[in-house]
Amino acid sequence: MTTGFTQQTLENITSGEPVWLRQQRQAAWQTFEKLPLPTKRDVEWQRFDLKALKLDKISVEPSVTEKLGGATKDGVIFCDMATAATKHGDLVKEYLGKLIAPDEPRKFAALHAAFWKTGTFVYVPRNVQVATPLEILYEFNGRNTAGFPHTLVVVEPGAEATLVQKFVGGPQPSNNGAIGLHASGTEVFVKDGGHLHYISYQNFGANVFDFTLKRARVGRDAEIDWVIGQFGASFQRYDIECEMDGEGGMSYMYGVCFAEHNQQFGQFTKQHHKTGNTVSDLLFKNVLRDSAVTNYAGMIKVEKNANGTNAYQANRNLVLSEKVKCDTKPILEIESNQLRCTHGATVGRLEDQHMFYLRSRGLREEQAREVLIEAFLDPVLARIQVENVRQEFSTLIHNKVVRK
Amino acid sequence: MSTELLHGTYKEGFHDDLKAVRKVPKGLSHEVVDYMSDVKNEPDWMRQFRHRSLDLFKKQELPAWLPGLRDEINFDEITYYVSPVEKSARRWEDVPEDIRRTYDKLGIAKEEQKLLGGLGAQIDSEMAYHNIQESLAKKGVIFLSCDDGMKEFPEIFKEHFAKAIPPEDNKFAALNSAFWSGGSFVYIPKGVKCDIPLSVYFRINAEQFGQFERTLIICDDDSFCHYVEGCSAPVYTTHSLHAAVVEIFVKERARCRYTTIQNWSTDVYNLVTKRAFAYKGAVMEWVDGNLGSKRTVKYPSVYMVGEGAHGEILSLASADKNMWQDAGAKLVFHAPNCTGRINSKSISGHGGRASYRGLVQMNPAAKDCRVQVNCDALILDPQSRTDTYPTMEVDGDLATVEHEASVSNVSEEQIFYLMSRGIKKEDAVSMIVNGFIEPIVKELPMEFAVEINRLINLQMEGSVG
Repeated sequence: MTTGFTQQTLENITSGEPVWLRQQRQAAWQTFEKLPLPTKRDVEWQRFDLKALKLDKISVEPSVTEKLGGATKDGVIFCDMATAATKHGDLVKEYLGKLIAPDEPRKFAALHAAFWKTGTFVYVPRNVQVATPLEILYEFNGRNTAGFPHTLVVVEPGAEATLVQKFVGGPQPSNNGAIGLHASGTEVFVKDGGHLHYISYQNFGANVFDFTLKRARVGRDAEIDWVIGQFGASFQRYDIECEMDGEGGMSYMYGVCFAEHNQQFGQFTKQHHKTGNTVSDLLFKNVLRDSAVTNYAGMIKVEKNANGTNAYQANRNLVLSEKVKCDTKPILEIESNQLRCTHGATVGRLEDQHMFYLRSRGLREEQAREVLIEAFLDPVLARIQVENVRQEFSTLIHNKVVRK
Repeated sequence: MSTELLHGTYKEGFHDDLKAVRKVPKGLSHEVVDYMSDVKNEPDWMRQFRHRSLDLFKKQELPAWLPGLRDEINFDEITYYVSPVEKSARRWEDVPEDIRRTYDKLGIAKEEQKLLGGLGAQIDSEMAYHNIQESLAKKGVIFLSCDDGMKEFPEIFKEHFAKAIPPEDNKFAALNSAFWSGGSFVYIPKGVKCDIPLSVYFRINAEQFGQFERTLIICDDDSFCHYVEGCSAPVYTTHSLHAAVVEIFVKERARCRYTTIQNWSTDVYNLVTKRAFAYKGAVMEWVDGNLGSKRTVKYPSVYMVGEGAHGEILSLASADKNMWQDAGAKLVFHAPNCTGRINSKSISGHGGRASYRGLVQMNPAAKDCRVQVNCDALILDPQSRTDTYPTMEVDGDLATVEHEASVSNVSEEQIFYLMSRGIKKEDAVSMIVNGFIEPIVKELPMEFAVEINRLINLQMEGSVG
């Protein structure tokens, strides 16, 4: 087992790859080397404690296995990245690293871009509608290991597909203090008139440190609707961004997060309106219990002349214990004048009145609380259009609520 | 609107040739600190405090979220102490004639005193005039320049000075602590209601100058006071710096309202720290209007330190050409059953930038506290920019925090409706903008409300084509 991320280990695991890919990895590696580890002095990191994440303990051999499910037809490509790189090299080269650039100054995204190994390539050709959802299951294995899966999604003009992405596995506290380092990247291109339904959740083991970066570019009259769920892991920093790149584009972003015990979650969202006459909506709902920490920071950025932008952003937090820490920071940066942008953020506990109503209907206090917590998260779940996946979300939440 | 026209409408943009009675060479140094302490004949603790603050200033970094300031301000080119007066007069007749003339031009004359409980007038580093109505003085209300306050009431001064804003707080608080001069010292005794406002006007006349007034207000139990400040500066081609520190202590069940109409010329960097401590059952209100300056960095704050305190901040910012209003508010909860409210309205036009930056912090002791934040921004043209940077930090499950913000333009439908009623387009826009800021303007004293409406209308001129 090799530990330590170095130039040498990088070369070892990437030998035999095409030159362009190795150059991309090299560039990312240099970015990683250049950047310091985040500390509590950085505003974005001040609420997080990453002391338990010891990089030199981590084995560099990637240990994520993937399972793909869902029928493909009409030229749809849905395969692992290694296969894609050999069979569809030109396509992969055209899109890989174009949304998450190797020199982007993000420490763990750069580590991911240098060392990613497993991954999935999804390509939906022009005007093809894929009715059945495409499912990716990434399973994180081993103790003191790293996982860097990369997902590349291209929806060509007029095409439509549903993608379900699940992240599971990784060390639990019972594994002798073993930890896992997981950093995933997802690049999504939705071309003009394309439509992607995207659902993703993670339910990692409780000793996993995860860094997630998802970014989508949305073309003219294209649409993406995302639903994401954060349930497992010890720490997760979730960056999710959409770039509105063509008129008539729409992005609907919804998230649920159930934070308990000592879990720490960072959510950094960005609705980037580069072009006018675009719409983005966002709703992130968090439940905090025990000593959990959440830090939401959401940006709506409207570039110059992006007139006709309509953007909304809401972050709602339900706090259930006196030891939780809940930060919310909704940000607007606006450089156009023909638009409407609003945001709202709330932090509150269960309403006494609501409890009273349910108690008066004969529910026990615990039952009433459970009903209200699940009801709080329901508006996000209602957005999930794939029935069995909605059931999975619902079960994950219910088990957390009743502490199963 | 052209620059020329804009400056033409800034009627306070003139400067007078005032002879400096005292002036130090430009640049910051321990010698300047010693000189100031000498001429002010200060106690030794204050001299030490100034020296320590200067060291802190040199050590402190500008925060990364304040881009540009480091490159824009050359601290060595600024003069830190200029006094056109020998001492603060208590009779208007004793104010030197040329300075009286300056204030006449600004419309601040002795007559105004009739409407005010007290009037102070600072020019450059020193207070030229400071006086209070007999009736208030009889009740024990103290309204002095901060320097005189230190000398005449050393105990109460020392007990509160730099207790809300220590020089360690931030780089500009340290700068002020090292070179502070002028400002007001206000003490309202227990149970005294000071019904008529105390008012102070700050004027910068010198070029490339730094004004560092320091204000300390103490409202003792069950008292009330309304303090109003205004300011202006000439239009030069160089830059000046205004870094004030305002500390307020609102004791049990007292209420204090502090109103600011900031109308600096676009030469002035306005970097101000304002903080109030609200004790049990106290009410602190900041009414903060920012209409001028090149760059304003100011977030009036209320620390709720006693049970049932209430903090309220009304913030109005108008960013016109060459302005960046980085204004906002902070509410920090350290006690149970407190409430807070922030209402911010900003307008940006002609390429100006208005940013709201705010903090709501609920500490573990903040049981059953509630706070509501509303920020609305109006953006008038595509050259302008508006930002919202609120931060909410909540520890525990005992508090309720709500934040809402919106950004919009003056909609075609609104204009169309008014025009269909026979109102000219420009008047329609002006009416809509005035309606937008109305909730805050109505909280201002009458004369200020009229002035704000006039200024906003001037800034609006030619903004719709």
